Amino acid sequence: MLLTSFSFKSNVKKKLVDPVLQKNMKRFGGRFVIARAEVMKEVDNLEDIRVAAAAIRDGILANLDSYLITFEERAQARGTTVHWAETAQDVNRILIEIAKANGVRKIVKSKSMVSEESGLNDAVAAADMQVIETDLGEYILQLADEPPSHIIAPAIHKNVEEVAELFSKHHHTPRQTNIPALCREAREQLRPHFISADMGISGGNFLIAETGSVVIVTNEGNGRMVTTLPKIHVAITGIEKVLPTLNDLSTILRLLPRSATGQSITNYVSMLTGPKGADDVDGPEQSHIILVDSGRSRLLGTELQRALRCIRCGACMNHCPVYQNIGGHAYGWVYPGPIGAVLTPSYVGLKNALDLPQASTLCGACEVVCPVKIPLPELMRVLREQSFEQRLRPWSERFSIGVWRTMANHPRVYARFAQVAARLLHLMGGKKGLLHWLPGLDGWTDGRDMPAPTGKTFRELYAKRKS
Amino acid sequence: MRVGLFVTCLVDLMRPRIGFATLKLLQNSGCEVVVPEGQTCCGQPGFNSGDRESGRLLAQRFLKDFESFDYVVIPSGSCTGMIRHHYAQLFPADPALQKRINALSARTYELTQFLHTVLHIQNLHSSFKGNITYHDSCSGLRELGIKLQPRQLIGQVAGAQLREMEKPETCCGFGGAFSIKLGDIASRMADNKCQDVQASGADAIVGGDLGCLLNIEGRLRRMGDESTQVLHVAEVLVGPEALADLGED
Amino acid sequence: MSARDNILARVRRGLNLPGDVPGAERSEVLRAINDNARGPRPTYGWTDHAERFSLRSKMLSTTVDRVATLNDAPAAVVRYLNELKLPLNAVAWPALSAMPWSATGLGLEFRGAKDSDLVGITGAFCAIAETGSLMLLSGPDTPAAVSLLPETHIAILDVSRIVPGMEEAWTLLKSQQSAVPRAVNFISGPSRTADIEQTIIIGAHGPYRVHVILVG
Ligand code: SF4
Repeated sequence: MLLTSFSFKSNVKKKLVDPVLQKNMKRFGGRFVIARAEVMKEVDNLEDIRVAAAAIRDGILANLDSYLITFEERAQARGTTVHWAETAQDVNRILIEIAKANGVRKIVKSKSMVSEESGLNDAVAAADMQVIETDLGEYILQLADEPPSHIIAPAIHKNVEEVAELFSKHHHTPRQTNIPALCREAREQLRPHFISADMGISGGNFLIAETGSVVIVTNEGNGRMVTTLPKIHVAITGIEKVLPTLNDLSTILRLLPRSATGQSITNYVSMLTGPKGADDVDGPEQSHIILVDSGRSRLLGTELQRALRCIRCGACMNHCPVYQNIGGHAYGWVYPGPIGAVLTPSYVGLKNALDLPQASTLCGACEVVCPVKIPLPELMRVLREQSFEQRLRPWSERFSIGVWRTMANHPRVYARFAQVAARLLHLMGGKKGLLHWLPGLDGWTDGRDMPAPTGKTFRELYAKRKS
Repeated sequence: MRVGLFVTCLVDLMRPRIGFATLKLLQNSGCEVVVPEGQTCCGQPGFNSGDRESGRLLAQRFLKDFESFDYVVIPSGSCTGMIRHHYAQLFPADPALQKRINALSARTYELTQFLHTVLHIQNLHSSFKGNITYHDSCSGLRELGIKLQPRQLIGQVAGAQLREMEKPETCCGFGGAFSIKLGDIASRMADNKCQDVQASGADAIVGGDLGCLLNIEGRLRRMGDESTQVLHVAEVLVGPEALADLGED
Repeated sequence: MSARDNILARVRRGLNLPGDVPGAERSEVLRAINDNARGPRPTYGWTDHAERFSLRSKMLSTTVDRVATLNDAPAAVVRYLNELKLPLNAVAWPALSAMPWSATGLGLEFRGAKDSDLVGITGAFCAIAETGSLMLLSGPDTPAAVSLLPETHIAILDVSRIVPGMEEAWTLLKSQQSAVPRAVNFISGPSRTADIEQTIIIGAHGPYRVHVILVG
C-alpha cells in the first residue's frame, strides 16, 4: 500500500474538515464500543482469559523459530506447500509464481491485511490476472480504488449513499440505497466469480502448530468460499500468527470476536489443513501458505516485541479518540490507530512515520481493551524515545525540551522564570484572562484560547504567606 | 501525619489557588503539610516526549525532596500516575533505587484518593450552587482507578448536584505536548468534550487535572461559552468561603 | 541461504537464542504442544447442554426444532421448508442418504453442492453449548460446500453430540478421527455482514437461514 504516513499532519488537517468523513466517523464512534462492552459481560473472568491469551502469545514469540518449524513440518505432512517471504515484494513475487505456474486467470480474495502491506492486488493486476476482493467492505473499496481505513471494518469511512453510487456505476444497475438490497446485489455479483475463479487468496488469523492448519475467522462466508471452491488456495499471513494448540485457539477465540465486533463468536471459524483428499468432493487441489516476515523479526528481542502479540481485533482503534476523529486513512498505511502507530514505524521505518507515535494523548483507552494486553501507550513512548535519541524530531522541539529539562532541574532558576512568565502572560490575558494567540503555541491557540495565569506563582505566594 | 505537598508545575504557574485549596483541605483534616522548595515538575512532559533523561533527573529530585514524608499528596492524577507507574521503570539497572522509589510511590496519592481512601473524609464543610459534571482524566482513571472517590467527595458538598455527561471517561485531547504538536486533533477532541459538557446541563465542569481543565476551558471560551465554570475538584471541595480567604494577592 | 533460513536466523538472532538452529527449545515446544493445556473459561452456569445450545443458537439467528428420533427428522425438514415456503428440492450430505427420506417426497440429491442449490441438508460432527455453534468436518460423505452455497442450511444433530465448549469438541475430534480433516467449520448462525454503515444484515455470501433439528 502506498505509504503516506510521513504526511500524517496534513492528512489529519484534510480529514478533520471532510464533512462526509466526519459524519461517517460520528456514526461509527461508539457502536463497536457499546457492543464490546455488552458482550464482555458474558465473560465473568475476562481478566484471567486476557492474561492467559497474552501468555500464549508471549510463549510463541519467545520460541518463534521452533514453532514455525513445527508448523511447517506438520503443514507439509498434510500436503501444504509452505513459502517464506522475507519482504513484502517477495509476497507478490511468490504469489504470482504460483499463479503463473498454474495458468491462473482469475483470483478471488478474502480479507488479508498482510497483502495490503505489499500492494498485492496491483502487482497481480500488472501480471495480467484479475483479482476480486470478496469481503463486502473490501469489495466496495476495490470499486472505489481506496485502501481500507480499518482492519476489520475496512469501509467504515463510507456511507450507504457512496456505496449505492459505486454499485450502480460499476454494476450498471439502478441505484438503490436499501442496505439489505445492496448486500444482495454484492452477493449476486460475486457469486459467479467464486464459482469461476482458479485461485482463492485468504489471510490467516492463526496458524496452528499442533496440526499445521490455518484458521480464518469470518462472518460473510466469503472466506469459506475462497478456501473451498477454487482449485488453488493460498493463505498469506505473518510469521507471528502461530498458536501452539487447538486449546490455545479456543482460549483466544473467546476474546477475538468479542473484542472486534462485539460478537460472542463469529459466524465462521474455519480451520483448513492441506488440500482435498483423494475422495473429497470439494476443497482445493493445492494448498499454499506464504509466511511473511517483512519487518516482524526486527521487533523480536526489543521492547516492541509485545506488539507482535496482536491478534488484529481492532479494539484499540475502535476505542481510540484520535482514530474516532480522523479515521484510518490519515495514518497513511495498512494499520491505523494505536497498533498502527506502533507497527507502521516499525515496519516502514521510524523516519517515514515520525508523527504516528506522537498521535496519541497516551490516554490508555487502547491498552485497557486490548485482549492480549499490549501496553500500546508504553510502546508509543518507546518509539518517541527512539525518535528523540536518533535526533529525528525537529531541532526546535529538542531544543525546548533541553532548555526545559535544565531549568526544571534548577529550582531557583525555574522559579524566577515561572514568576516572569506568570506575570507576562497574565498581563497579555487582559480582563478576561484569555490568550487568543501565543507565539510558538499556535498549535494550541488555533482552536482554543489559552487561559492566562492569575499573575503570581504558587511558590511566590506561599513564601510570602510563610514570612 | 506529615504530608508533603507536590503542587505540580501547572498549578504553580497557572492556578496557585488550587495549590492553596489543596493545602487547606489537608490542614483541615489535621495533616501537617509541608511544601518542599526544591520541587518543580514531575518530569512527564519530557518523559512523554521521549526524553528519558529528564524523567530520571526529576524522579531523583522528587525522591530527594519527598522521601522523608509519611505521605505525598498531589492535586493531579497525571503527575501521580507518572510517579507511581513510571518512575521505577526509569532505572531498570538500579534495583536499590527502584526499591526506594517504589516505597515512596506507595505513599504518594492523588488528592481525592488521599481524602477518600486514606483520610476517609465523611464530612466536608463546603457548598456549591448548581450542577456539576465530572471529567475523568485519563491517568487518574486508568492508571490509578480514580472514579468513585471524587464523586463521593462532591456528594458531600452541600448543594452540588452531579450530572454525568455522556462520555466522562473519554480523553479531552490535552495529552501534554500533544495538545500543541497535534493541536488540530486536540482541539477537535476538546470540542467533543465541551459538547458533552454542555449537553449535560451542568453549571460547572470539574476535574482533577489542571491540564485537562485548561484545555476544556480554552475550548469552551473559544466556542463563546463564557458561563460554564471550569473548576478543579480541590476548589469545589474546599468551598467558596475558604476559597475567598485564599486570596491570591 | 534460502528465505526460510534467513527468516529463521533473524528470529533466533532477535530472540538472542544460541546457534543457528533450535536445540533444546524445540523439544520444549513439542512438549508444550503435547501437554495441550486448557486455558481458563468463563463459568458455565448451565446444566442442560441442549437447552443452552438452543438459547445461544437463537441469539445467533439460528432457528431450532427438536424431534424425538432420527426417523422423525425428515418430516421436520419438510415442515420447516413448507412453513417458509421454501423449495422442496435439496442437496444433502451423502452421509445422510440412509435416513428414511422416501416418505417425505423431498427431491434430494446426495452429493457436493452446486451454485444453483437452494437448500442444503447436513449433519454435524458435534455442537458447542457455550456459543451455539455447529462443528462440521469435511470429508467424502460430508462435503463442505453443502453448508455454504445454498441460501438455506438445515443441520440435523443428535443432542448427545452437544459438548460444553470448544475444548471438548477438539477432544472428541481427536478421539474419533485419526487426523483433523481438510476443513473444520464452526458455524454460528447464518452468514452476515455489517460492512455498510455497521448495519447488521443477515445473509451475505453464505446461507440466509440456518435451521437446526435436534434429535433426542
Ligand atoms: S493491539 Fe490489541 S486491541 Fe489493537 S488490534 Fe491488536 S490485539 Fe486488538
